Amino acid sequence: MRRAHARRTATTIREVSDIVVTTDERPEGRQRSAEEERLLAQRRRDTRNKWLWRIAGYVVVLLIWEYGFQAIMELIAGRSLNDALLPGPIRILQTIPDIWEDGEMLSNFGATLTRIGIGFGVSFIAGALIGLFTQNKWLDSFFRDLVVVSLTSPGLVWALTGLIIWGFKPLGWIFAIFMTTFALVSVNISEGVRALPKDLLDMAKAFGVSSIDRQRHIVIPHLAPYIFTAVRFGFSIAWKVTVLTEVFSSNKGIGFQMRVTSQVFQLDEFFTWVLSFFVFALFLEKVVLQRAEDRYFRWRQEVAT
Amino acid sequence: MAEIKVKNLHKEFGVGDDRVVALENVNLDIEGHVFVSIVGPSGCGKSTLLNILSGIETASSGTVDITQDSHDANPGYVFQAARLLPWRSVMENLMFVQKERDDEARARCQRYLDMVQLGDKGDKFPGELSGGMQQRVGIARAFSIEPDVLFMDEPFSHLDAITARSLRRELHEMWKQTKKTVLFVTHDVGEAVELSNRILVFAKGGKLEDDITVDLPFPRDPSDDAVAVAKAQVLRKFEELDLLAT
Amino acid sequence: MTAAAMDSRPRVPFYRRPVAARILMPIAVIVVWYLVYWTLGSRIFEPPHRVFEFMWNELTLETRLRNGKGPSNLYQMFGLTVVRLFAGFAIAMVVGTVIGLAMGLSKSVNAFFHDWVMAVLAMPALVWALFLGLVFGPQGNQAPIYACILAGIPFVIINVREGVRNTPKELFDMARAFGVPQNKITRNVLLPSLMPFLFAAVRYAFSVGWKGLVIAEVFASDSGMGWAIKFWYDAHQTRGVIGYALFFVAFALALEKLLFEPLAEKAFKWRPRVGDVGVVEEQFLLDQTVEGALEVEQFTGGESDG
Ligand SMILES: Nc1ncnc2c1ncn2[C@@H]1O[C@H](COP(=O)(O)OP(=O)(O)O)[C@@H](O)[C@H]1O
Ligand SMILES: [Mg+2]
Repeated sequence: MRRAHARRTATTIREVSDIVVTTDERPEGRQRSAEEERLLAQRRRDTRNKWLWRIAGYVVVLLIWEYGFQAIMELIAGRSLNDALLPGPIRILQTIPDIWEDGEMLSNFGATLTRIGIGFGVSFIAGALIGLFTQNKWLDSFFRDLVVVSLTSPGLVWALTGLIIWGFKPLGWIFAIFMTTFALVSVNISEGVRALPKDLLDMAKAFGVSSIDRQRHIVIPHLAPYIFTAVRFGFSIAWKVTVLTEVFSSNKGIGFQMRVTSQVFQLDEFFTWVLSFFVFALFLEKVVLQRAEDRYFRWRQEVAT
Repeated sequence: MAEIKVKNLHKEFGVGDDRVVALENVNLDIEGHVFVSIVGPSGCGKSTLLNILSGIETASSGTVDITQDSHDANPGYVFQAARLLPWRSVMENLMFVQKERDDEARARCQRYLDMVQLGDKGDKFPGELSGGMQQRVGIARAFSIEPDVLFMDEPFSHLDAITARSLRRELHEMWKQTKKTVLFVTHDVGEAVELSNRILVFAKGGKLEDDITVDLPFPRDPSDDAVAVAKAQVLRKFEELDLLAT
Repeated sequence: MTAAAMDSRPRVPFYRRPVAARILMPIAVIVVWYLVYWTLGSRIFEPPHRVFEFMWNELTLETRLRNGKGPSNLYQMFGLTVVRLFAGFAIAMVVGTVIGLAMGLSKSVNAFFHDWVMAVLAMPALVWALFLGLVFGPQGNQAPIYACILAGIPFVIINVREGVRNTPKELFDMARAFGVPQNKITRNVLLPSLMPFLFAAVRYAFSVGWKGLVIAEVFASDSGMGWAIKFWYDAHQTRGVIGYALFFVAFALALEKLLFEPLAEKAFKWRPRVGDVGVVEEQFLLDQTVEGALEVEQFTGGESDG
């Protein structure tokens, strides 16, 4: 008889007295077991590590950007480049107060956001309606190709098409935003409606729950995650296509500013506009949407098994 | 002859309020060609015990020692869900766990597939089989490496009563023919009485509460009086141990 | 007899069948187009038949031969764009897979790169196009290819990383319990389970990279499909803009039907077919692997469109 599986021998052999006996009602201030201490130490190490590496990421990238950018880009481009084309982070940050004081920041932001708001609002409502329509087989077939086209074609073609037909009138950019975002909304809503929990609705009906309460307590909570996803994706695309239409023809807005600043080689201001939109997007993401989701989806947290 | 020795085994998960003691000071000695059932309410650490024995998890403290006839033998394991590779055919799933990819291994796999009556399904993907068939593939896979020790974790609990019954019968036949040491987790006392020589009873908190020897001749028919009486006795033990409340 | 057999089948009138609806959509688009044309009374907006005529002339190289007004010919522009697309796509796939694997396997690497990957993901292709155009100038392929890489690479990274993170733990445990050696586990468990994610990466890198590429061609190049559509836009030629827009749509659909769908079919033979899933749903279901992944990263994601 030979021994095998020595590798399966557990690693630690400890005194049994190490192990704290637990009952269902644990006493307050119970002493931590050795295993708990080990796990806690591991977790603390992980968190510290994560932050160290994250900070290292920022430091390395920003340092390269500030001091090595020019050299790297010249190497890639194979020719010497004007310093103005390659602003470092410090120079970009320095332009912020100027733009802010001019009041340009707010007015341009306002113009772009208004367009996104209107365009995406319209697209969302239309997209949601189409999503509802596609529960019908015939209408589903009717819209299918339009949805595929919208999902697969570049936003650029819709921006140019809208602009050449309507010029930079509201219909021009609304068309562009609609064509790039409605499909996303309609597909999400359609999936959500298709997955409606029929069993729960039947249960509610069996208990004689009123139609309004059924919508409030079953349909809307069920659809909420689909709607959140649609808003999230739709918005991120809407802003990109809006800025694109502004580049081609507009006299206000972030896209317009990007065009102007890049035309006069003021890349520091150019990146400031990019950066400010990032900050705004981050705010919308982390503060507005995340909060709403956290509040709305508390029930989704699962109990660990 | 295989031997499984477990000494002062302790396993816990989590920290603070999340802390769960899955196994507490478990001592075990299993020797020879026996069929050992492990019963107890859900969450009492049955799966954790098998996972530690098979090396999937490590213990918090304590020792496990498995001694087998052949040096490089590996225990077989049948899981609650079949755990087949969905992107490999049935035959490839069996070949996946073989030490050598030779004709001999292939013939052996075919033999065990035949034994679970799936000899003609070797080319199918698991997704094309029913739940019962998938579980049979899982059983054939565990047997196909011809292990001395076999772990089974509630292998029939997802199946309907009729399929489960015929698989139990097949399993018993295979065990009789191959004479392995089997550790069989179940929450079905009837199943445990029908199949095993020995029943280990676990309670919540991972305590090994009782070790019952079932000394009845095989094959055992669940409708047989002696088997029914044994089942009633085990259930009475449960009551004494206050397990039924949970 | 045959007549009786046919009669016993419930006969759905043609116009009520889904096929009819599908045919109706393009017709409806054309009708609306004419209506807009008539109501708008715009001098530069053109009706469908003129646009189709233009497209036909482009396809047969008639435009260039007749008056030499076209930028060059459609096929050259198209070929150039496709070559750039494949170059950018290939680089994005290779580099993105390496970074994604590292990020999936190591928490430290993930922490190092994560925020920057998200920043690149959220950056509109327009920004790359304007910036690269200034750095590299309009000649050559560099600016469009780099734009294509930058647009596509975050999707590759995120998908590969999610793939590594979502590998089926229970199958690895199974393999370990049976003492299967590591290289065999890699080949039989890790790689196949990564396939859907790699596939999603390919798909996104391709379609998003393409969208980034054409924008770069508009702002940072003097050739390619993007440049061609911009040429017609600057010339105030509606037929050119809409005609090329339709070429783009056709290319996108061809990519979908001729490349991705057959590829998906091949790669996922082991997946049981669930009923008769339509094109759009299927496409969406496949995309959900990524979208699920992206949902975690939130809205800074989305397609690098427009
Ligand atoms: N990986 C894990 N992380 C945290 N807790 C776990 C883990 N695995 C098991 N547990 C907990 O350990 C206890 C025993 O689990 P298990 O062995 O699966 O029970 P069962 O007897 O039903 O098979 C349960 O309370 C379970 O929640
Ligand atoms: Mg279990």
